[in-house]
Amino acid sequence: MRKFVIVLKYELKEYFSNKAFMGLTVLLALLGVGMLFLPRFVDMSGFTGVKIVGGEDSSEKETPEGEKPLFLYADHAGVVQEDVLAQLFPDAVWQKAEPDAVKASVEAQEAEAGFVVTGKTEYEYYVFNKPMHDNNMLLFQEAMRQFYRMDYCRQNGWNLEEVAAMYDVPITVEEEVLNKDSGSNYWYCYVLIIIVFMLIVYYGQMIAVSVTSEKSNRAIEVLVTSTSPNSLLFGKVIAGAVAGVFQMGVLLGALLIAYQMNREQWGGMLDMFLHIPGSVVAAFAFFGLGGYLFYGFLYGAMGALVSKTEDISKSASGLMVVVMVVYFFSLVQLNDIDGVAIKVLSFLPVSSYSTMFARIGMGTVAAWEVAVSFLILVLSTIGAGVLGAKLYRMGTLRYGNPIKLTNALKDLKQSE
Amino acid sequence: MILEVKNIRKSFGDKEVLHGVSFQVESGKALGLLGRNGAGKTTTIRILMDVFHANSGEILLDGRQFQPRKHQIGYLPEERGLYPKRTVIDQMVYLATLRGMKPGEARVSAKKWLERLEVAEYETKKLETLSKGNQQKVQLAATLVNNPDMVILDEPFSGLDPVNSQILKDVVNELINDKRLVIFSSHQMSYVEEFCDNIAIINQGQVVLDGQLKDIKKEYSRNRLMLAAENHTLEELARKVEGEWQGLARVSGRKKEFLVLELSEGADKRAFLERLAKSDVDVEKFGRYEPSLNDIFVAKVGEEE
Repeated sequence: MRKFVIVLKYELKEYFSNKAFMGLTVLLALLGVGMLFLPRFVDMSGFTGVKIVGGEDSSEKETPEGEKPLFLYADHAGVVQEDVLAQLFPDAVWQKAEPDAVKASVEAQEAEAGFVVTGKTEYEYYVFNKPMHDNNMLLFQEAMRQFYRMDYCRQNGWNLEEVAAMYDVPITVEEEVLNKDSGSNYWYCYVLIIIVFMLIVYYGQMIAVSVTSEKSNRAIEVLVTSTSPNSLLFGKVIAGAVAGVFQMGVLLGALLIAYQMNREQWGGMLDMFLHIPGSVVAAFAFFGLGGYLFYGFLYGAMGALVSKTEDISKSASGLMVVVMVVYFFSLVQLNDIDGVAIKVLSFLPVSSYSTMFARIGMGTVAAWEVAVSFLILVLSTIGAGVLGAKLYRMGTLRYGNPIKLTNALKDLKQSE
Repeated sequence: MILEVKNIRKSFGDKEVLHGVSFQVESGKALGLLGRNGAGKTTTIRILMDVFHANSGEILLDGRQFQPRKHQIGYLPEERGLYPKRTVIDQMVYLATLRGMKPGEARVSAKKWLERLEVAEYETKKLETLSKGNQQKVQLAATLVNNPDMVILDEPFSGLDPVNSQILKDVVNELINDKRLVIFSSHQMSYVEEFCDNIAIINQGQVVLDGQLKDIKKEYSRNRLMLAAENHTLEELARKVEGEWQGLARVSGRKKEFLVLELSEGADKRAFLERLAKSDVDVEKFGRYEPSLNDIFVAKVGEEE
């Protein structure tokens, strides 16, 4: 245990004295915090729907009269109401014209757009160069519908305001979710699965590189004769876990605090990502960490099977495929959170790290299921650690071509 | 302390590489483990250090099963290496604490050994910034940092210039005088001759010669003479021995300055000397020939081949 602590401290020092690691952590946190503070300084009301207090709201800023584009219309049906057009197209100047003049003016680029109403429900649209996001047609169609309704009500002696009020009667609802709201929990489960996947892949690779480097710089023989391979591998993997938790903790902590400070400015629109219930955070912490350690040990063992860091991708490719499949499957299964597939996956140590906490966040899961799944994950992680240490020990002095996992396991069986 | 290696066998896959290696070494004495490349020296040392497990045989320390992790052992492996991107002192303290020292003690000891090996000025430098020779000295300092009772040095002189070799020789002598148990593997026979009281020559996975170096040398010098003349070249002398003096001796070797002769069966030194005195040979050099370890090694390993 003492030697494990010595290895752990030494490896942690490696992470925390690494300028790139610390720099990246601080940089990412500052970047995230900076983005969350943006609505305080920049008008993002178009995105957030919240105006800066005392600031200028660009969404309501009117284009000066002289700069407004000219739109022409011709009305064969006698239904066009200019006040409706002005309301729907506040940044345009409307002029009535003869049908032939509409097209000619647009062609001569004297007018930006032209509309010829040929019937109560028909019109022609003229534009010189159609921009990629042109919503003039949509808006004019809405105008045409309004003209039609107004005309119909006038002809039948109906009051348009009364009819409109009857159609748009406001409904009041009081919702109380008694257990979980899968709809709103979906996004943070989604984000947390991505985070734990990134942690496993990023730190798993770092652990494998760290092990292989000790082989390639030949320090390994001195190390394995100075302490047990268990201390070495467990120290390395757990140091990686601590570093990962630290980096993620700093980043998430900074984001959560910055969001709480700016929640009002964001109009609560990031709640789905950054307003996570405690139970889900706890499940993420336990299962995420368990899964991370499980894969960390296996990545360490894969690192011991090669002699050069450039060969890690070969030895760890199988593991990477498993991680990727679990990742995609977990995300897909979020849409069927109480299905049989995700239930099975939530008990397997290769996938419970993401699927069980997703079930806790979104689905129906009994306490015993959580306990059993976590127990399986813990036991499997210990098993992966012991197996990883054995493979690490066996691969220690085997240089040259990468050792295949199947051969390594065979040799391990023989040596025992 | 007496370390006994008894009948060690080791196979890799279907190939047996050690076929019952045995030797013995005690505190205050150094054992030279000799052999050609691939003879099995490093494998034997790795079994001693529990890096590999033997298929059979046993290793005893003072009659009890030897468990390397329960003893302070300084091991300098053939495949050298430490952390290139960490400072010298950091990794020395790390290794010392891994071997059971307290951090404070480890730091003091690390500084002492860096000082002794004349690399103290690099204490806070990253290892990769040091020259190869200085890295080698740091590695040796890391081997000795925990003040081991037993020191196993696999090719310690490789990569060292004569000045650094002298420093290392002095350190090894100090270890031996300090009653440490030293096992020393090298191709450089002159160093082995200098330090080792005992040798074990391993060839193709088995010990082909072992024992006290002085006894082995005595055995190899029996019935061997050296001869050089003022008035004859070595070729002329050799022709004389093989012709006129046939039956008394035969030429068993030729050095730069003298011939090595082996007395024939039944002949003795006195008879040879009488014959020599009666001849026209103006003797420049005559006496008992004591072979170097290199000669013994070449003769023994060559014989086995």
